[in-house]
Amino acid sequence: MMRGHRSAIVLSTIAFSAVLAAQGPAPPQQESPTKGLVRKGKVPVSNEILRTRLPAPAEIDLPNGLHVMVLEDHRLPQVNFQAFIPGAGGYYDPPDNAGLASFTASLMREGTATQTSDQISQRLEVMAAGLAVGAGGSATEATVTGNCLSEHFPALIEMAADVMLHPSFPEEEVARFKQRTRVALTQTRANPGFLAQEMFQRVVYGDHPASRLLATIPSLEKTTRDALVQFHKTHYVPDHAALAVSGDVSMAEVRALILDKFSGWNKAGTAPAAVTDPAPIAGSKIYFVARPNSVQTNLIVGGQAIERTNPDYDALMVMNKVLGGGPTGRLFIHLREEKGYTYGVGSSVSAPMHRGEWAASTSVRTEVTEPALHDLLAEIALMRDQPVSDQELADAKRAMIASFALSLENPAQLLNYYVTRWRYHLPADYWDRYAERVGAIGKEQAQTIARKYLGADRLQIVAVGDPAKVADTLKKFGTVETYDADGKRVGGD
Amino acid sequence: MRRLLTVGLALALGASAAAITPPTIKFSDARLKNGLRLIIAEDHVAPVFSIAVVYNVGSRDERPGRTGFAHLFEHMMFRGSENVGVGEHFYTIFSNGGTMNGTTNKERTLYFETMPANQLEAGVFLEADRMRSLAITKESLDNQRNAVQEERRSGLDNQPYGHTFEAIDEQAIDNPAYKHSVIGSMTDLNAASVDDVASFFRTYYAPNNAIIAVTGDVTTSRVLELARKYFEPIPSQPAPPPVDITQAPQIAERRLSLDDALARVPRLDISYRIPSNLSPDDDSIEVLALILGSGRSSRFYESIVRQKQLATGAAAFAPNSRGPRLFRISATPIPGKSLEDLEAAIYGEIERVKSGPISDWEIEKARNATRRQFVGGLQSSLNRAVQLAESALIYDNPGEVNTRYARLDKLTVADVQRVAKQYLTPATRSVVITRPKAAGGGRGGR
Repeated sequence: MMRGHRSAIVLSTIAFSAVLAAQGPAPPQQESPTKGLVRKGKVPVSNEILRTRLPAPAEIDLPNGLHVMVLEDHRLPQVNFQAFIPGAGGYYDPPDNAGLASFTASLMREGTATQTSDQISQRLEVMAAGLAVGAGGSATEATVTGNCLSEHFPALIEMAADVMLHPSFPEEEVARFKQRTRVALTQTRANPGFLAQEMFQRVVYGDHPASRLLATIPSLEKTTRDALVQFHKTHYVPDHAALAVSGDVSMAEVRALILDKFSGWNKAGTAPAAVTDPAPIAGSKIYFVARPNSVQTNLIVGGQAIERTNPDYDALMVMNKVLGGGPTGRLFIHLREEKGYTYGVGSSVSAPMHRGEWAASTSVRTEVTEPALHDLLAEIALMRDQPVSDQELADAKRAMIASFALSLENPAQLLNYYVTRWRYHLPADYWDRYAERVGAIGKEQAQTIARKYLGADRLQIVAVGDPAKVADTLKKFGTVETYDADGKRVGGD
Repeated sequence: MRRLLTVGLALALGASAAAITPPTIKFSDARLKNGLRLIIAEDHVAPVFSIAVVYNVGSRDERPGRTGFAHLFEHMMFRGSENVGVGEHFYTIFSNGGTMNGTTNKERTLYFETMPANQLEAGVFLEADRMRSLAITKESLDNQRNAVQEERRSGLDNQPYGHTFEAIDEQAIDNPAYKHSVIGSMTDLNAASVDDVASFFRTYYAPNNAIIAVTGDVTTSRVLELARKYFEPIPSQPAPPPVDITQAPQIAERRLSLDDALARVPRLDISYRIPSNLSPDDDSIEVLALILGSGRSSRFYESIVRQKQLATGAAAFAPNSRGPRLFRISATPIPGKSLEDLEAAIYGEIERVKSGPISDWEIEKARNATRRQFVGGLQSSLNRAVQLAESALIYDNPGEVNTRYARLDKLTVADVQRVAKQYLTPATRSVVITRPKAAGGGRGGR
């Protein structure tokens, strides 16, 4: 089908370390962590890791400060782009108007100096093009994402420029937005996963902006058009922004289009927006959100961990892969494949500009809340108390390195690696040396990392469930504070 | 294979440029001696391959008292076979950099994996070993029964509108094969036995009841060689019993009201009976759904959400089916606004599409949406494999995937209006209204 176009991709098959090379078709049989996994070792897998070099994008800096990255890929007639505006995310909400950044982002496409909301929707949808502006409740940046058939790219960039530079925030659209957002915020509170995540961020980050997940209705109500106009004017500046484009387009075409359509986007002369770490949280507690009629208990266990540029990042990712990084993780194999407590369970690392978090989460039927929470905590303790096996470590590292091949199918995903490098000021050869860095992590290091970041004294426990059935159960695990589904404290020790 | 316009030309013409003709998927289509259909689409754009295995069995094949069984069985396919241990299937794929999953709907059960190109033999081996020699144990069945029941709880029973989702099909469809949900009832899941698993495996997981598509960085000859080695020795079985997809016509509107203790705002769901995807009206129905209820330029959004301000959203869509099929409309009213007014406004828009004008841009929107979807779907080898295998299953023609967007060029406004008049009628309509119910003993909110 598609044109063969792999000149930028260098392929070589290598055995990336002695540990992995030792595993032939019949790998050394090590004791599995649980009965949920039995290795017969008869699958004819290749011992070699298909090493890939990521094709690099072209990069330039425009006079207004905008960093432009273009990854050409002419296999299909389509283009994707993402713009990043540091300083325009919910992190920078005024303290008394949480959600302002996300309201601003959502309302930018509801009318400009020359186009109504309806016109924007219709033009985009006739092209079957996507264009969205978003700003997470605690994100440090706003993002503008778009995708289209390549024949529509110039029109989409023109539309993106209009939305980004000339939003008019019509009063009528602000009123409509408030009406539908009010309902959406109400609906979201019916979702137990949301209630768990909201409480978790609150108790792990305290007063830090990272504690915010979604805006509240009172903050929505008090938002004024003036505040939106002002937030846009102050925060949507090009000085530290980037635009990443991938697909059926060249840097020359992108550059010409940006210089033309974004010609009025001038440097503001502002310093990069400041980011600070959250204060450490002293002690560990259980936070229970009472949701009557629940038939499951949603659980999150976790605490503050690291920022993206921390030297512990790779080791933490490897440790997390062994413990809960997907279906190969111990949590999945033990809590689901052996015990059948849950449909899904895993753990993840969120490492932004500031100190982020490590967290494990699951939802289990109400009746097994106690053994499931017990086992979840026991698996975390085991990571601290004992080194992982050689095979688990090798499997986790191989999974992380070999999976790079899959991203070569997807130029937008490929470009994301380079966007990450840009966002966190990582070294130019950061991804070229990824396999080497991950390959060098040993089991002692993985255990040290678990001890450092998964200590019982820094992990908070959040549970959402039926108060009639699990409130007493939770007390067996420690001090419990109880909240209702609207986030109000209703009881506790 | 080749694009007709260069990028430079497309740019020069701007947004009104003549539409670029997307590439097509080239494939081979063969059957092994045991009846296994093997579709191969070789390309070398990235060092990756995907395998999609479609078994022609879904929840429509379940017998009474065993709802949810096809999906429960899907979980058993990861619990080992003669040469593969419990969990080793997915462990092997993920720990070698790949990704995989399985999924069940009313029509079929699909298993798939994407792996680095050097693991082709492992991928073929893993799929063949479980098709040949699935391990069936009481312990595995009990374990996965629990996991599936948790899947039901987290997806339906512990979510707002979970029961609405099941009630829509139960009310609108009379055919027993299509009436029940894929996830099935807790009672039926509890009743499933090891004998059920063994008999289901024998009947439905035979090579002659499966379609495999392999796409990506492979050579056709190597895939054939591996398929002959690992799949061809698996014996075929008698064809499974055909599914009765008939039902008596609906002659009057049906209505149902539900109280939902987990919901905080009401919801309105309307469905109409429409013919299956195999009907010549399929394309017109898709376009009708796009015009009425897809996106913010749709009739529903423009009129009901923006102008009349009766709802926060109103969508129209038609899930795929080879048998009984529904045209679905789902809307969330703004609190304080009447559900009756919302329902009447939806019917008003349906009548307007039947007799009033349809703009050229609305048809262009549908054409571009279909073309955009086609191009986007070509990017990953997995998507290509799934589309080829599913097209082979539904249309007996893997190449159907290549022609859909072009067919829309011939579609006219009159076609869309005709299907609206023919199928969106009060007598074939079913309505479900869901209202929040205060939680027992506690605060429920609304």
